[in-house]
Amino acid sequence: MAASCVRTVGSFLGKCTKCSSSINTVATQVLLSRQVCVSSALCRKNLAAAGPEKFTLEYIQKQVEEYEIGKRHLANMMGEDSENFTQEDIDKSIAYLFPSSLFEKRARPLMKHPDEIFPKQRAVQWGADGRPFHFLFYTGKQSYYSLMHDLYGKILKIEKHQDRLRAKGLFSQDAQLISLGPSRWLTKEELELLLVETISTHDYDRFIKLMERMLAMPYSSTEEEFVQRYRRQLEAQSMKQMMPPLEKDENGVAFSTAEGRRKTSDSSVILRDCGSGHITINGQDYLQYFPVLQDREQLMFPLQFMGVLGRFNLECTVSGGGRSSQAGALRLAISRALLSFLSEGDGEAMRQAGLLTPDPRVRERKKPGQEGARRKFTWKKR
Amino acid sequence: MSSSSRSPHRVPSLSAKNRKMRLQFTQTQQNWTKKIGNALPGAMSLDFCCAVWMVGVFLVRWSRYNPYYLEPEVSKEAYSRPETELSAEEKEQRELKALRPIKAATSGVTSSVFDDPVISKFINMMMKHGNKVLAREIMTQTLENIKKKQVEKYHKASEGEREVIECNPYTIFHQALENCKPVVGLASIQKGGKYYQVPIPLTDNRRRFLAMKWMITECQDNKHRRTHMYEKLSQELLAAFGKEGNVIKKKYELHKMAEANRAYAHYRWW
Repeated sequence: MAASCVRTVGSFLGKCTKCSSSINTVATQVLLSRQVCVSSALCRKNLAAAGPEKFTLEYIQKQVEEYEIGKRHLANMMGEDSENFTQEDIDKSIAYLFPSSLFEKRARPLMKHPDEIFPKQRAVQWGADGRPFHFLFYTGKQSYYSLMHDLYGKILKIEKHQDRLRAKGLFSQDAQLISLGPSRWLTKEELELLLVETISTHDYDRFIKLMERMLAMPYSSTEEEFVQRYRRQLEAQSMKQMMPPLEKDENGVAFSTAEGRRKTSDSSVILRDCGSGHITINGQDYLQYFPVLQDREQLMFPLQFMGVLGRFNLECTVSGGGRSSQAGALRLAISRALLSFLSEGDGEAMRQAGLLTPDPRVRERKKPGQEGARRKFTWKKR
Repeated sequence: MSSSSRSPHRVPSLSAKNRKMRLQFTQTQQNWTKKIGNALPGAMSLDFCCAVWMVGVFLVRWSRYNPYYLEPEVSKEAYSRPETELSAEEKEQRELKALRPIKAATSGVTSSVFDDPVISKFINMMMKHGNKVLAREIMTQTLENIKKKQVEKYHKASEGEREVIECNPYTIFHQALENCKPVVGLASIQKGGKYYQVPIPLTDNRRRFLAMKWMITECQDNKHRRTHMYEKLSQELLAAFGKEGNVIKKKYELHKMAEANRAYAHYRWW
């Protein structure tokens, strides 16, 4: 506003110089020669509206070339074979050449292929004449709608197939449903990555419903590989268990060591396959260290669950936290150490009993404006 | 000014016959996704992949666990059953458990034969200011006291009565709690400017909670200042076992109120 005012004043005065020239010549000259200042509000671009930074195709290609050349230089520097230099070798070399102790892993020096660094973008969707390539461009979400369109086309194809079989008299209701195995649908985020465009939760739900609808139809196994593209395999959780190694000490007794944490307690347990069933915690007997029955029950829980109560000797150390969290840390450590003495089926049973999951519950912080984590200050009307 | 003059008589938008037909139709159509959902364990739409769920939106009741996690099964018997004995749903449940992460068992549960979930819940409800040691002590003293009284009664009784007397304190506790559980509860529903006490069905958890709560408040409030909690609690439990006592009386009063307000039962919309 101020800028426009200054400008008009200048032009107005410029027109008026003829009339009031004699009296106000000096003043007007001063005014006219004054710089016309424009406020920065007009020049400032709306950065938020521009969206994420767009990279041109040439720029990305240049980055890829630079990456390849840099990879060869790095291999030469490290004295390795530049032809077979894999991404893991690159990571190791970068970690060696630029050691960083920053806690945030994403802030550390990084050298990866530009496809992994720059977000996937759409190439320009229209030709030189301005006409878009895809027939669904004007829906705004062309990949999503084309996917739904394809899916519906597949449903119609399956129905046609069913009609043909019915005409021949070979139709049976419970034939050939797709067996997908343990797998899950793509999440909304993964689907967005695949389609390179954002979709709403409503769209995602409709997509899943339509897929389920297609799977419910008999003779849908013809479209199996289309469906598999949108599913991710689920691997059995038991594969993810880390088993501590089974060692043998001088007397030939098998033992294993494991650690456990709960709240602020840390514990470490050495499980020896002796046969006596003694338990020592921080040098003291467990009856002395845990006078409360509940804590001792927690120590016994994994052993009693597996039925090996009198078989093992436990040598435990624990620090930090209170009595209950120390008992919980010890229980986790004992369960982990026990894994190396048991079969896989027993290990899976322990996992399903909840013995191998570290308890994520910690003390909730106090918030400002409240007395505690949840308790509010006394409400006063005035 | 009566309440009935304010709210006009409502004609249902769907007559009873049509409602029945619609329900039948929806029930046949209900299972078209369920069939697939049952055939593919673990194949449910999941929105969370990370192990511990970082809450962006702060809900009032939330858990440190991702909703994807399942509850742990602590009893040993559940794992010793062979494949052949299981029904189809149990098989699916097993397959689901093999694929999904499981929550950690809490510090109050064990696989031991002496661990009882009902008694653990009762101890937690009795606990004040986190003093679990004291609450558990009171519980064990109560059970001991019950046993003592029953054994005394057993020895004093004649041959014929001896079979009827129950000495196991755990069965007495469970039976007493069963006797105290109300069948219907009351909810305060606002209609036409007034609040009515409407009888509603209760879930099993709610019934158990009410029975325990009444028992505990009864023993904390209505006792002589010199009687210990465990004494009063054992007296109440034995009385409830015999369907007498203040807690049973409270349950019957609630039932009477529900029966009296039976006319308002249609105010419930769920």
